[in-house]
Amino acid sequence: MDNILWHSVFFWAFAVITCGFAVMVVLSDNIVRMAVALIFSLSGAAGLFLLAGADFVGAMQLMIYVGGTLVLLIFGVMLTAQGPFISLKAGSGDWIIAVVMVGLSLAMLLPMAWSVPDWHGPAMGASETKTTKQTALQEEAEADQETVVVEHNVSVTEIGLSLVGVRTDLNQEDQESGQLPEGYLLPFEIVSVHLLVILIGAAYLARAKRPRKPTKYP
Amino acid sequence: MSFYQLIVNAKWESWASTLVYLPEIVLCLTIVILLLLRLPRWGSRISSLGIALVGSVIAFVLSIPFETTAEANPEAATTAQPVSLLQEETSPNPPDIEASSEETKAYKQPGDTIFSGLIVYDGLTIFFRQLLILFVVALLILMGLTGIPDRDSGADVFTLILGATVGFSLMVSSNHLLIAFLGVEMASVPSYVLAGTLKGRRIASEAALKFALYGAGAAGVMLYGMSLMAGALGSAHLPTMAENLAQLTANGVDDRQLVLFLGGLMILVGLAFKLSAFPFHFWCPDVFEGATAEVDAFLSVASKAAAIGLLLRFAIGISGVPGEPIEAPAAVAQATSTEEAKNTFDILAISQTEATSLTFAAQADQEKTKLEEKPVTDPDSSVVPIQDLIVFLIGLMAALTTTFGNLAAYGQTNIKRLMAYSTIAHAGYLMMPVAAAVALLSKDQAGAQEAVASVVVYLIAYFFMNLGVFAIIALLRNRIRSEEIEDYAGIVRESPGLVVCFGILMFSLIGLPPLAGFLGKFWIFAALWEAGLITLLFIGGLNTFFSIFYYLRVLKVMVLSPEPDHRSPAAIPIISWPGLYVAALTVPVAILLVFWEPIRVYSLWAAADLFQ
Amino acid sequence: MFTQPIGVAHYLVVGAILFVCGIVCMTTKRNTIGILMGVELVLSAAILNFVAFSQPAFRVDQEASLGIDGHVFALFAIVLAAAEAAVALAIALNYYNNHSTIDVDRAQDLQG
Repeated sequence: MDNILWHSVFFWAFAVITCGFAVMVVLSDNIVRMAVALIFSLSGAAGLFLLAGADFVGAMQLMIYVGGTLVLLIFGVMLTAQGPFISLKAGSGDWIIAVVMVGLSLAMLLPMAWSVPDWHGPAMGASETKTTKQTALQEEAEADQETVVVEHNVSVTEIGLSLVGVRTDLNQEDQESGQLPEGYLLPFEIVSVHLLVILIGAAYLARAKRPRKPTKYP
Repeated sequence: MSFYQLIVNAKWESWASTLVYLPEIVLCLTIVILLLLRLPRWGSRISSLGIALVGSVIAFVLSIPFETTAEANPEAATTAQPVSLLQEETSPNPPDIEASSEETKAYKQPGDTIFSGLIVYDGLTIFFRQLLILFVVALLILMGLTGIPDRDSGADVFTLILGATVGFSLMVSSNHLLIAFLGVEMASVPSYVLAGTLKGRRIASEAALKFALYGAGAAGVMLYGMSLMAGALGSAHLPTMAENLAQLTANGVDDRQLVLFLGGLMILVGLAFKLSAFPFHFWCPDVFEGATAEVDAFLSVASKAAAIGLLLRFAIGISGVPGEPIEAPAAVAQATSTEEAKNTFDILAISQTEATSLTFAAQADQEKTKLEEKPVTDPDSSVVPIQDLIVFLIGLMAALTTTFGNLAAYGQTNIKRLMAYSTIAHAGYLMMPVAAAVALLSKDQAGAQEAVASVVVYLIAYFFMNLGVFAIIALLRNRIRSEEIEDYAGIVRESPGLVVCFGILMFSLIGLPPLAGFLGKFWIFAALWEAGLITLLFIGGLNTFFSIFYYLRVLKVMVLSPEPDHRSPAAIPIISWPGLYVAALTVPVAILLVFWEPIRVYSLWAAADLFQ
Repeated sequence: MFTQPIGVAHYLVVGAILFVCGIVCMTTKRNTIGILMGVELVLSAAILNFVAFSQPAFRVDQEASLGIDGHVFALFAIVLAAAEAAVALAIALNYYNNHSTIDVDRAQDLQG
């Protein structure tokens, strides 16, 4: 009782929220309930990101995913629902298939997730190969018994600079040993073109056809 | 500090990368220009087709690799020789950049990676980029001839096509999982919209919906597979992943085997969806029927070419280890080989019902034993079990895809559905040499190069054949308002020239001797023979025989059946712009065999950089 | 359970559950929006994996963690998922305009 890791407690709490609401998305027959459950599930996932030291990704998950994408989906629900609430009942045959699928895929994926001993958790003792930063954190953690979990947070500056092609998180020897580390300048630029194309495509489908002259097509 | 760092780190590397990335940049600029031209009032008077055409032609010219000075990079001069040979054919004056060359600032040569290792710029990249951009030029001309899309939606549709093309070019040149995923998304999402180009029609919107839902699901599964793969190998950079994988296998550490297997399988699912390979082909006929013939041509040629390029990058990138040999005790490698082989066969035996696949499994087993009896001496033998697994998976999928596509094509009454199944079958043929290349990777590099070259040749032939057929379908649709095969009855008496072209294209799709399709198929079968994949060769040959009948059935209806009374006139004289367009696509199909030698040189050059 | 530190494997288990939920959602739901929600769950599972693989403190072999690569991959996945959802929704609305339903079981004009 004395050595409870609060990091683990929070992890389990968020994990239960995430998985529980995800199951609710599957089981629910009502599209609006599904959307709400999805909001909670994705918010729980954002909490898990924060616990994994991915502060920026967690914030983006909340803002873009929960704030943007889900609102979009709910708009879709509102625009296409005929009644105030549309319900969708799946047939019993569907459920049998679903149960078989759940069984099969969980039987494959869960052993897979647990199959690598290196991934079960941090080494409690001192490991030999560590960068200086992590060793320092490790020592600090060992000094403070409360926080055994070592956090290595990636700062927003590092992410931002890697998006313009500069890697500050790697030490210089790595850079000179051979190839350049991957800076993400190209994907960062090209994804803007993608978003522009998507915008045009979505607008094309959404806008009404101007009935000026008929196409040659029947 | 950060901005300063940015300026200081704006290395020559980025500029040199930008220089060889110009075609894509031109395509992006064309998209922006198409968008901006709608702002001013006079903008609507400028033809968006013209802008898109000019942009893609410029991009094509820029995609021809220009030569840097020989003294700046002496060892590259030998590899670049075939390029100059090609240049004389296609472009009389390559861009002159001699003036700004300095010794310290090396220009990117084919074979380098650009943008700090994210993208590989080699012969294959150059070939695919040229093929794709040339295809876009041809497609835009076709769209100008058929009048779909109309003036209103022209700018939007061309934007989508160009955007998807940028995605295709990312796919075929990716050296990093992020680029691969970005490319797949950039290529597929505009394609979903393109499938629903005629947004007022019921079947078009249904095709777009099915495509988007299945595609989004496949992309999600693929991303999950990528996360497992990257996590298990500790990198998302393909060569680094390959090194780590070889090390893992060499050390005999197999606790990550399951993660890697499932991750690889999920990535293969995503790729199979893009290729419309057998278990994930179901979207293809529906989407092809609902979309217009022009979009079908785009999906069947450009999309398939890009997907096969990405499959090549993955399959060869992950299983071939360039660089220093890894000291592996041969016994360990052997043990894992047999063990893994057994595992795979157990897993796959569940899903195997067809006799063909069983014989194939037996054959692969035989081969494996053959391979194991031979004393393993080459240094990178630790990757052999991985290669065997990849060969088995791709080979199995190719065999099933070809067989299924050809058999299902029989019952079709709609020409676009028939061509969709034909596309599925050809995707199977295209996957076969990939399996052969991986099989030959550690045994015979020259043979593997030949196998990749056969993909190149087949794609060149496929480009002309399928674009030609879909152009004819689109042109006839504009005349007779139908895409049913029975409505093509007796069309030979109205437009004989067109039907002759159609016949040549059909014979070429079958793969009959003097035509382009034969050249491609012959090379693929030769590569299979070289790789010892005899079962696959046999299945390919058998399928060629199957395919004769349904292709010829269309031709039979066109020539022998009497015309129906209620059809609008279908006369498309060969001496007219549409007729000449079709003829221009048919002539290369007919005479490609004459240029056997330059095509051979070019395709081998394109494949060469993959094996260095 | 609360006294053990968390590892990558714990995150992978959560990711696997999300993935399976997403797949089941995609296959059993009859509503287009429902299917899209399943896709979001699958993508979220993948992003969770990337984030978990990036944290060196969750594993013994710290050198093999993805670090910033995983974070960037996760960010791009979020952006691309948002873009894909926008287009899929536009297509669904277009379909709704033509068919007055978004029930995929009634998408029967094209028989595969």
